[in-house]
Amino acid sequence: MMFWRVLRQMIVRGRGRLAVALVALVSGATASAALLNLEFDAERKFSHELRQLGPNVLVRSAVAPGASDEPGGVFDAEVVNGLLTEASGAGGGPVTGLAPSLYVIVRSPGAETGLVLAGTWLDAYPRLAPWWSVNGAWVTERADTNVCLVGQQAAAKLRVRPGSTVELRYAERTATLRVAGIVSTGGAEDDQVFANLPVAQQLAGLPGKVSVVQMSVAGAPQEVERYASQLAPRLPGLEVRPLRQIAQAEGQLLARVQDLLFWSVGLILLLTSLCVLATTLALAIERRADVGLMKALGGQMTRIVRMFMAEAGLLGAVGGIAGAVMGTVLSAWIGRQVFGTATSVRIEVIPLIVAVMVAVALLGALPLRLLSHVRPGIVLRESK
Amino acid sequence: MFFRILGESFLRNPARKWLEAAALALGMAITTAALVTALDVGDRMAREFRRLGANLVVTPKTDTLPLEIGGTDYRPVEEGAYLKDEDLGKLRTIFWRLNIVGFTPFLDAPAELERGQNRFATRVIGTWVAHEVAVPDGTTFTTGVLATHPWWKVEGAWFPENAIVTRGDASDNATTRGGRDVVVGASLASRAGIRRGDWFTIRLGGHEIDMQATGILTSGGAEDQAIVAPLNLVQGLTGHLGEYRRLAVSALTSPEDEFAKRDPDTMTPTDYDRWFCTPYISSIAFQIKQTLPGANVRVVRQVAETEGRVLGRLSALLWLVSVTALVSVALVIGSTSATTVLERRQEIGLMKALGAGRRRIVGLFVAEQVFVAVCGGLAGYLAGEGLGYAVGEIVFGIPGTGRLVLLPVVLALALAVTLAGSLWPLGRVARLDAAPVLRGE
Repeated sequence: MMFWRVLRQMIVRGRGRLAVALVALVSGATASAALLNLEFDAERKFSHELRQLGPNVLVRSAVAPGASDEPGGVFDAEVVNGLLTEASGAGGGPVTGLAPSLYVIVRSPGAETGLVLAGTWLDAYPRLAPWWSVNGAWVTERADTNVCLVGQQAAAKLRVRPGSTVELRYAERTATLRVAGIVSTGGAEDDQVFANLPVAQQLAGLPGKVSVVQMSVAGAPQEVERYASQLAPRLPGLEVRPLRQIAQAEGQLLARVQDLLFWSVGLILLLTSLCVLATTLALAIERRADVGLMKALGGQMTRIVRMFMAEAGLLGAVGGIAGAVMGTVLSAWIGRQVFGTATSVRIEVIPLIVAVMVAVALLGALPLRLLSHVRPGIVLRESK
Repeated sequence: MFFRILGESFLRNPARKWLEAAALALGMAITTAALVTALDVGDRMAREFRRLGANLVVTPKTDTLPLEIGGTDYRPVEEGAYLKDEDLGKLRTIFWRLNIVGFTPFLDAPAELERGQNRFATRVIGTWVAHEVAVPDGTTFTTGVLATHPWWKVEGAWFPENAIVTRGDASDNATTRGGRDVVVGASLASRAGIRRGDWFTIRLGGHEIDMQATGILTSGGAEDQAIVAPLNLVQGLTGHLGEYRRLAVSALTSPEDEFAKRDPDTMTPTDYDRWFCTPYISSIAFQIKQTLPGANVRVVRQVAETEGRVLGRLSALLWLVSVTALVSVALVIGSTSATTVLERRQEIGLMKALGAGRRRIVGLFVAEQVFVAVCGGLAGYLAGEGLGYAVGEIVFGIPGTGRLVLLPVVLALALAVTLAGSLWPLGRVARLDAAPVLRGE
């Protein structure tokens, strides 16, 4: 019990300088734990951000779009029901969103040369195309056949504002719709009018037909490609096309972000550990006099070293635990600041950080072993 | 005397000073590397985002509504307005010209492909691959789909860009080489059984010409069903010499903040200058609109919004990471300095006993710490620049740029941290009486 009494005395007596060393260990551990937590979570969060790029798989008729006035082939909406069960199927499936569309070239007062009407599920768009900026209101009901969204260029041509009505003609059929909102996207959508699917089907005289299905599929580019190639044989006569522009850029951007975080966090962890090591080393060197005194009092070298190791290990453990807890809190705060949602806590980070800190503290105390050859007289004289 | 004691202190107990300087150098290396990376990341990632393709689209202002479905414009060729390609060089004369990574004009027309007995309805898309554009300032700028559509993959080779085709050449059905070389979209090629090197006949606008496929194009878009040809060939065939219908512009931008979303018309002159001189996508769009007469410039929100959000978050994350590292390193170094001072109580006691004033003792220690801080800070700065360079090289393939601006920042930080760490224990020790300290109490 002598061992523990001496250890306790050492800690109580040296609490000033131990506290100072503890500050170093705790702050090093805090930074390391926070960064490790972030590193694990940031990849997922950025992948989620990039998912906002929109649909990455298209299903369309394999018949090529003609050179004529009319857009390419249409197919039965039955297919969509099949895809829908997939999207909501067991296990969540990789499909995170989908919407079928039927495109019709219609005429309208103000756009006599023609105008593209896209009949689709308007309620799916806030999720499928979050970059759309709508002046007015989104359409939230897929069955509502009286409203439409108008692209900003089309709206300028048709001279409509949210709340006004627009008349669309195809052959001898007409549809009068209320404009719910003006859409601005910077893409082809700016020139188009969006209504719910039945409106376009009825206007074109193509009930139950669609011309394209847009899907949002989660996963790396290879997974998306694999999903598309698995889907293709089940849909004869249709073409399943991954949008390479989106899929590829997404994968490459994500890889860059991962690399960046990995290297910067890795470097910071390594250097922080080394920095803490330097502190514990400094602490150990200052202990020469104590070692000398213990030796002079007849202590065995192994016993003395064990004592100091225990002290260092204890210091490392306390610093590691405190730092890991504080780091978890810090990473949650950073996550909220950057992404708006807290970083999820990785429990495995805590033991990892404690282990690293104990290892660093023990490594720092190791030079004491070299003091076995120290002659007490010299050390003691030197220190006084 | 002062300097002799100082020198002695370094010579007599070098290990302790070395450790302190090493901790300092490591800490400052982290800080420098993190700052270098955080400062660079915006530019670097903005460049990566250009893989997504154009973030600005230019169309004629007086145009009829395009009938674009699935990336194909179904308007007849005779309808709608066109823009002149001779103006395009001016894009490299705007204020943010260096941020214009590339631009590509497009002009397409419906056509019929004839191969053996079979006929296929398709479209011929005229564009630039790597076209040399003369810039009004006398230089040239090479741009085209290679710059703006990096995800387009050609199996085989792109057609040569330099073949000059006038209207006379194009309608002439002689099978001259060059200018008739095109690439064929993958879906169309597999339907029509065309492989690279094959010849086929195209009917377009009353012309019938033979073309050779130099490669097969996979784009994942409407181009897979089409034929991509040199812009001047399509211009000649459609009779729209020197004209295009759509221009894709890829520009490096900074993420939009609240300020960027304001209407430039309502800004004060100072705000307007600030807006104009920041590479916001809206100010670049505005400058392009001023440069190209009759053009309407639209921001591709799908790309720009995601880019802005991801870039904003990534740099915020890296700044917070840098600050976290910095604070923790400051505490570690501060505590190292504190340890080294605390351990020298006896020395201080001895000095006091020999008649040194408090100011003298503090001055001596401060001088010592300043020396350590400058050495450690300098070493740390150099190592950190090296690390920042390496991270840039590993992650982006482009080494990080050295920033001399960081040197005074890092040195000041090193000084502040060491002095803050040592002054507090120093003040306490210097106030003690000499005798009990010397006795070791």
